[in-house]
Amino acid sequence: MLHDIRVIELSGPETMMAGRILGDLGADVIVVEPPGGAAGRRLDPFLDDTPGLDRSLTWHALNRGKRGITLDLGTADGRALLEALGRSAALLLETADRKATAPRADVTLPASTVRCRITPFLSTGPKRDYVASDLIVTAATGVPGITGTPERPPLFYPVPQAMMEAGAEAAIASLAALSARDVDGLGQDIEVPARLAGMMSALSVPIVVPANNPELQRTPARQRLAGVTLPGIFACKDGFVLVSFAFGQAFGRLTQRLMQWAVEQNCLEARLGAVDWSTAPQQAEKGSLTAEDLRATVDAIASLCRRHTKDEFGAEARKRGLLAAPLMDMRDIAQSPQYRERGLWSSPVAVGAEGRTVDDPARFAQFSNYTIDVARPAPTLSQHTAEILKTELGLSSAEVQALFVHGII
Amino acid sequence: MKGPLDGLRVLDMGWVMVGPVTGRYLADLGADVVKLESSRRVDPLRTLGPFKDGKPGLERSISYHNLNAGKRSLTVDIKDPRGREAILRLVEWADVLIESFSPGVLDDLDLAYPVLKARNPALIVASTSLLGQTGPHARGTSGVGTMGASMSGASLLLGWPGHPPCGTYGPWTDAIAPRFIVPSILAALHRRRATGEGCQIDVAQAEAGIQFLSPAWYQYAANGTVMERRGHAGSPLRAPHGIFRCAGQDRWIALDASDDAAWQALRTLVGGPLLDATFDTLIGRLRGRDDLEGAISAWTASREADQLERSLQAAGVPAHVVSSSNDLAHDPELLEAHYRRIDDPVVGEAIVEGPRYRLGRTPERATRRGPRIGEHTQEILRDLCGYDAAAIDELKAAGVLV
Repeated sequence: MLHDIRVIELSGPETMMAGRILGDLGADVIVVEPPGGAAGRRLDPFLDDTPGLDRSLTWHALNRGKRGITLDLGTADGRALLEALGRSAALLLETADRKATAPRADVTLPASTVRCRITPFLSTGPKRDYVASDLIVTAATGVPGITGTPERPPLFYPVPQAMMEAGAEAAIASLAALSARDVDGLGQDIEVPARLAGMMSALSVPIVVPANNPELQRTPARQRLAGVTLPGIFACKDGFVLVSFAFGQAFGRLTQRLMQWAVEQNCLEARLGAVDWSTAPQQAEKGSLTAEDLRATVDAIASLCRRHTKDEFGAEARKRGLLAAPLMDMRDIAQSPQYRERGLWSSPVAVGAEGRTVDDPARFAQFSNYTIDVARPAPTLSQHTAEILKTELGLSSAEVQALFVHGII
Repeated sequence: MKGPLDGLRVLDMGWVMVGPVTGRYLADLGADVVKLESSRRVDPLRTLGPFKDGKPGLERSISYHNLNAGKRSLTVDIKDPRGREAILRLVEWADVLIESFSPGVLDDLDLAYPVLKARNPALIVASTSLLGQTGPHARGTSGVGTMGASMSGASLLLGWPGHPPCGTYGPWTDAIAPRFIVPSILAALHRRRATGEGCQIDVAQAEAGIQFLSPAWYQYAANGTVMERRGHAGSPLRAPHGIFRCAGQDRWIALDASDDAAWQALRTLVGGPLLDATFDTLIGRLRGRDDLEGAISAWTASREADQLERSLQAAGVPAHVVSSSNDLAHDPELLEAHYRRIDDPVVGEAIVEGPRYRLGRTPERATRRGPRIGEHTQEILRDLCGYDAAAIDELKAAGVLV
């Protein structure tokens, strides 16, 4: 769909998801790295837990489908080559990291180029000079502050999230600017602050206090009714399952079905199964649904969950239409017939030099007349430098060698 | 100058979060977005907080305003044949249709993609649901984003080793899925400008979540290792790197001083036990991690988090308060540049969020309030569907416009 769009990605951790999404949608993405390699190549985990510039699995996951060249943008030649390459590109992606980026003033691109820069904090705001990393930006989004339990410290994902949020947001902002370019042929400079992007996952947290509501407490997925905690996650035979106790018009009937199942399995007494669960909060307030009833219900659901495996539980939840799902890990996801038969996975992508391949979860969208696929594995360091300099920019073999001798590529 | 999507027409049939967020992105960029609602089956987002001044009410949800800012609202009973015909007239009007019904619902209403395409071949239909429209588990799986988070691998990754997982904060995939739907729509629009082609786009919210965890997927697929929840905020390959308790109730600062320059800066600032020669090297800091973190915690524990953020940043140490809802409300960056004031006839003045990007040339559209239920029904039926006053009265009398 974006087959006529070339993207130059001055690689930083935050550009990687942006380039990946655009590449999956059909753009020709060329990653530009300093001769020592992009920062993304040093992100764990590593192939076989052995580090190396071509062994970062984070790099592989986010750069497959792209071509890669090296250019020292600190040199006049590096900048000139970037300008030359830039003349064929609709979009330049970059970060605020000075090592990876050509200062705007130093590289002149055509007026038709969209230049998207991902910053940690807004470059015109009071935190513009803040030094940051993924952990710092993530802390500032409000997500960890609200994730976990009040007795323990805030929780962060073991996979960096600010770079994912910022990259995906940059794909949107870049495509918006490319839409304007479709109309009038002009590019523009755009900025995506990772902090603002990451705040999306804080959902409504930022607007709670400004709407004159009390501050939120960090709580795990659970509800409280008549002083009784209704957990959101229960242990099952081989792991954990999510069970949402939802009430009200839209979702109450789903809770009703859960209770029916618990009655059928002899976990819950029929009397409690017959309660109108859509109005449970009101009944609890009136006292017709007691704390004891609710405790018995929680125990019943816990025992219902313990009787089933994740798979069994998932199948029953689908059959009955429950607000419930197994907590899946990556092994479960690999084995899931849903993801496989639906076609989430691309054709196998090579990882590392030993011929190993992985299925990539490339198809984030299924189109009626376009198929996302992964054309090539992530580039090894400088893999396409000579090819692109020769065929795209017309450099001779001797000139490419000269650039290498001088450490520019 | 106009917004990038000025003139684009969008029919937003989504509810709760994923569809509406997708529609809001398009509205912010200049599109005319019509949101289909029902006063009989109210968008659950209208019943979810936060409410202005904590007072519940279907027109008081600030979350609703936040995700539906700038849209127009139409109430039509889509199950009534006359309501269905009104929707099909909007389908002819629209460039993009967003829907998040449970898979199968549109088939039952005889509004599946082939029907829509027959009325408008250039239409771009974005369908989204927890597991998508296809696959053995797609039908029968509907619900909320906490389920998407569970099935994407995210929920298990949050918690403490040896303890049950805590799960994500809220319906996590509701925030992630729009980041894949919107680029797909914008790419399809780019293609349509050249070829006139429409399409259907089907995004599974759980699959969107997997994208944000792709390093964990690759770790399993290549190494056979299943990533586990870690609890500790920082990376085991960096030190000091994590969060530290500050003075006050539940106050924390995130700090990343693993790289040499930041470490030297932190060391100079804190002094004391950090000057110990054990901590000269990264390997020393990793091996002495517990002592190192203990020493930093002892230093931060008596200090106020905001003050620490400023003094650490001034010294060149990457640091930020682990922001709470209260911190976000008072954060100088967000107050200056992110929050937008809306004025609504029901709730009065309120704060919603602005766009998460800055476009340098095309103007930002002023953030407007969300609509009241069915606020624009008449004008939409008249101006977009082409009904005259008598026809609208007839629909109203027949109870179709609810």
